[in-house]
Amino acid sequence: MGTTNYLTTIFCIALTLAAYLGTRKLYLRYKHPLLNVVALTAAAVIAVLVVLRIPYNDFVPAKNIMTLLLGPATVGLAVPLYRHRELLRRFGVPIVGCVALGSFLAMLTAALIAKLGGLPHDVVMSIMPKGVSIPFAVEIAQIYGGIPPLSAAFVVATGTLGSLVGGWLLTLARVSHPVARGLALGTVSHGQGTATALMEGEQQGAMAGLAMILAGILTAALAPLAVWLLGFVG
Amino acid sequence: MTETLKALGQLAILWAIYWVSTWLVSVTDVPIPGNVVGVVLLFTLLCTGVLKVRQIELATDFLLKHLVFFFAAVAVGLMEWGVVFYDYGLTLLAAIVISTVLPLLVVGRLSQFLNRERS
Repeated sequence: MGTTNYLTTIFCIALTLAAYLGTRKLYLRYKHPLLNVVALTAAAVIAVLVVLRIPYNDFVPAKNIMTLLLGPATVGLAVPLYRHRELLRRFGVPIVGCVALGSFLAMLTAALIAKLGGLPHDVVMSIMPKGVSIPFAVEIAQIYGGIPPLSAAFVVATGTLGSLVGGWLLTLARVSHPVARGLALGTVSHGQGTATALMEGEQQGAMAGLAMILAGILTAALAPLAVWLLGFVG
Repeated sequence: MTETLKALGQLAILWAIYWVSTWLVSVTDVPIPGNVVGVVLLFTLLCTGVLKVRQIELATDFLLKHLVFFFAAVAVGLMEWGVVFYDYGLTLLAAIVISTVLPLLVVGRLSQFLNRERS
């Protein structure tokens, strides 16, 4: 029994790594927003686990080992923030203000619609922080009783939507300023939006990267207010 | 080889910062995730010059390049929650679409307006 679990864990890690490297290669080759590495890797791993009848519980030890470095890796996001400090100094107050407003609106509308639609509390709290990068979203959701993998899924759905139609919608709304486009994409659709903004240009990409990290921090800071306001509904 | 050792040393620094941040959160009981506190803490250390970017960038650049690998490992947990999408699919879709499009346009228009004002 002990050896079997041990082998299952090694198999799960190898499987996830292989799926990740494969989908990453695919994405780097075509760079299409629908080729989302998180979604495709997870889907491939889930498919294999289902076919081999390995229950999710047997995957958990592997997940715990693989995400050991997630915390320190996330902390490392301070480095791109620091590299862009010149932008932050130049446009500081309007940037922080816009990202704060955008993050707050995203949380409130997502949670409000979910709540009015009659979704259970744990799902509402999982969807609330869906505009920010997965490590932040997962942790914020957990504080208020959300479910980490559900949050991760909502984050990916949001990011895919934002990177698919975000640029087009901004053009439709006559937002042409590169700073504004990058800021909007990074605020609402985190890393995936940032990747799209980078394809538009250097300035858009830098702004989106900055907005994405600020959105993580500001969403965490504003979440108590959003949860408090939601308390008055239904 | 020395590069690898250097990266591991840098990883230890990141880990220490993350650890201190989660510890701070647990003793103060503030409703902010430890990783968010960690980002702010590291940013402060960099801005004040206590840490230099070159003392950690080997580790951070590698980890950030592969950040989505960790996300994928988390997302596998969805296999337990697929039913949520069957039960509430339409509401979830509406919530995601509206809460993405509305802030996108608000942030885009507002920041463009503010930028025009300045220049």
